[in-house]
Amino acid sequence: MSITSPQRVPQPATQSDLCDWLRANATVERHAVVPVGGGTALHSGNTLFSDCVHLDTTALRRVIDYPARDMTITVEAGIRIAELTALLASENQRLGIDIPQPALATLGGALASNVSGPRRFGCGTMRDAVIGLSAVDAGGRMFKSGGRVVKNVAGYDLCKMLVGSQGTLAVVSQVTLKLRPRPETSGFLCVPLNSLGAAESLLDRLTSTATRPVAVELFNGSAAAELSTNWPHSSTARCWLCLGFEGMEREVLWQFQAVSDELRTLAASEFITAIGDDATRLWAGLTEFQVVSPQIPAFKATVRPSRVVAFLEQAERLGCSFASHAANGIVFGRLPNSTKTVDAAAAMIHPLRACAVAAGGSLTPFCDDAWKMSLGVFARSSPDVELMRTLKKQLDPAGLLSPGRIFGDI
Amino acid sequence: MTTTHAGTAKKPGISREVLTRLVEIVGKSGILSAREELLVYECDGFTIEKNSPDVVVFPTTTEQVADIVKLCNRHEIPFVPRGAGTSLAGGCLPIGGGVMIALTRMKQILEVNLRDRYAIVEPGLVNLHLTNHLKGTGFHYAPDPSSQGACTIGGNFATNSGGPHTLKYGVTVNHVLGAELVMPDGRIVTLGGTCEDTPGYDLTGLFVGNEGTFGICTKVIVRLTRDPVAYRTMLGIFNSVADATQTISNIIGAGIVPAALELMDQGIVEAVEAAFHFGFPLDAAAVLLIEVDGLEVAVDDEARKIISICEQTGAREVRSANSPKERLLLWKCRKQAFGAIGRLSPSYCTQDGVVPRTKLPEILEFITATGTQHGIRIVNVFHAGDGNIHPILLFDERDADQVRRVLLASDAILEKCIEMGGSVTGEHGIGVEKISLMSKLFTQADLDVMALVRDGFNPTGLCSPKKMLPTAGACGTEHVERTSPGRRAAM
Repeated sequence: MSITSPQRVPQPATQSDLCDWLRANATVERHAVVPVGGGTALHSGNTLFSDCVHLDTTALRRVIDYPARDMTITVEAGIRIAELTALLASENQRLGIDIPQPALATLGGALASNVSGPRRFGCGTMRDAVIGLSAVDAGGRMFKSGGRVVKNVAGYDLCKMLVGSQGTLAVVSQVTLKLRPRPETSGFLCVPLNSLGAAESLLDRLTSTATRPVAVELFNGSAAAELSTNWPHSSTARCWLCLGFEGMEREVLWQFQAVSDELRTLAASEFITAIGDDATRLWAGLTEFQVVSPQIPAFKATVRPSRVVAFLEQAERLGCSFASHAANGIVFGRLPNSTKTVDAAAAMIHPLRACAVAAGGSLTPFCDDAWKMSLGVFARSSPDVELMRTLKKQLDPAGLLSPGRIFGDI
Repeated sequence: MTTTHAGTAKKPGISREVLTRLVEIVGKSGILSAREELLVYECDGFTIEKNSPDVVVFPTTTEQVADIVKLCNRHEIPFVPRGAGTSLAGGCLPIGGGVMIALTRMKQILEVNLRDRYAIVEPGLVNLHLTNHLKGTGFHYAPDPSSQGACTIGGNFATNSGGPHTLKYGVTVNHVLGAELVMPDGRIVTLGGTCEDTPGYDLTGLFVGNEGTFGICTKVIVRLTRDPVAYRTMLGIFNSVADATQTISNIIGAGIVPAALELMDQGIVEAVEAAFHFGFPLDAAAVLLIEVDGLEVAVDDEARKIISICEQTGAREVRSANSPKERLLLWKCRKQAFGAIGRLSPSYCTQDGVVPRTKLPEILEFITATGTQHGIRIVNVFHAGDGNIHPILLFDERDADQVRRVLLASDAILEKCIEMGGSVTGEHGIGVEKISLMSKLFTQADLDVMALVRDGFNPTGLCSPKKMLPTAGACGTEHVERTSPGRRAAM
């Protein structure tokens, strides 16, 4: 996943400088531009043009306003996630969204990539946390949407439009977030299983559980091996169902007991629990699994939760390792190490995608640039895609921002 | 722009040819065109601005909606969708007449899938009917605006409706996975779906709250929420509004997220007591309805913390609901508070401002001072937990001077909300009522970008014309300077 020799990188020091740079670029040089924070999601989407200028957002990292007692914060988008997390923790607050590579990843990048992790089941994703933002369009015009209050329907919700837009509509420069209190503790109850089929009966039972998990994670043995530095137990289970719980310690322990009573009746016999620091390692491992490396082709699939196990069975037959947010229907998978050619990758990606689409969802591969055309990154064409193209044309008519990244042609 | 009232002569805006074609699409029983039949549709919950549509049609399928829209395009006739007409901002006002497309006959629940936690419903389905349908399944539909007994899911989609539980559970957009729409050019599109994270742009999120200006919603895919296991519902009684608002601020500041936190001041309590006899103390300056929900093992602790905070800020008393029946009674009095206002004055006007939670004491003081300054009585019942205020200005609209003062007071309050870093609308929408405030909340650049987005989806402007965004220099926005605000109070 290499971007061949990126141009030397402009790094605006202020939001005003950002506007000036983009305005000048739109008027004079007219380079294609991709906003880059921590550089952790450059592999995402179609291949960027090799002459695309990387616009470094990381100098925009000021805290603009943090009225902690309002449970909102306004920061510049280039702030690193780790720095934001530490700041919020000092007030016993958090964002509630698990973002991998926190020392590198920026808030703007996480927003533009719509990154999330295991807690999305209980805490939602970026679209639920962003209540306002400022952004700069390709012509250097700054605009804002939303505001600094948690209840606001004035104007169109352009915050939602920008979440997941991968730098193709505007450069996000400042974000206001709705925050959550930090829970007293968190823990996992993990169930080793001999088959994915066994997992389905447990997942079905969980739809009516008396507990309220904040994460429902299903991953196979080969993924567990990758989580091994974070996984407290060695075991040869075929797959694992791990349920995350948060709250007061009493609350978490009660839920461990209650959910194991529920699942025991379905012949789940072994339960391993981790709470506090032990759980922290597992949260981190499950969050980081989605990080892709250039050598190993990978994918993200979305399916209806009731079809997760069927999809995973197919992925398993093909030799993939996978971890999934099973109650949300989100799967991260890696093709086997033996996949060395694009044809071999296609022979797996195409049927997996067909399976995901049949389950009402989609599949997006992550792979070397050279393979992206064959495998098809976006691979959707339906009337709503036309609306997306319209939006792109309205906001970036000259096609300067990350051209080709989502649709391939614009 | 002229407001047209019933009985005045009006030029026909729809040709016989178009009328015939509409009858072909929806059938004779699916159309209203006689002047007296159109009366009901000349305004919504914002009753001061009125304009009659030329015709109202009642499609029963998406294809019919698409055919109607294409017909309107061919003949350049404006069209506007309408659900139950409960909009408090004039969202359903048919500016320029044209075809009103009422979705009320499209009210089916098409699919309920508990395993995958979604339901697919038609836009005319009444909000409460969905949750009632789900009773006993262990799931409900979370957004519950106070008008939920009448308002429709399609209308909720259009305005991104809230309600008292948004503090913990979010607003409509947080519970919508996708939708089917007829675009302003008649194309049928599906946004999102039954899965999360649809690749590409989050069009669903962008379209929720578009107030009918991007197209007409013909199906909604909603997220279903597990019923909470346990509730603790309390009523804090305070000797001053300042104590009550400080309590709210302290509860949020302590990192507690109640399921609901609603304030009613003395004026509203008086009206509610006279109407419903709940046993509220008439001499309390304010009462706070506070609810926590969650696991049985956790709610008592949270309730205790809240009671302690109330006592620290000088609550005279904190009552707890000891049974589901008592809980429902407490909620009934809150949800029916607006219905009791008729006892207080012939007309009222409500605002929908928002301020950061910590500024609640300040804005409530400002509201009191503004009322005094303009000689207008103002009572308050609102979603305190998320800073969404609903000051209710009481007056008699037959008195032109009172009307003038109400306008001044309303504007002062909303401008103060803006000054405090808030918003002019937390849940009712801009509609036509607040178009003049958009340029106080947003810069020209902000409005230009919003216009770009809208023009991409609605280039002709025939769909819901002159809503939400100010039209630069065009005739048609003068009326929203509001010559006469207010609403006749429901008795």
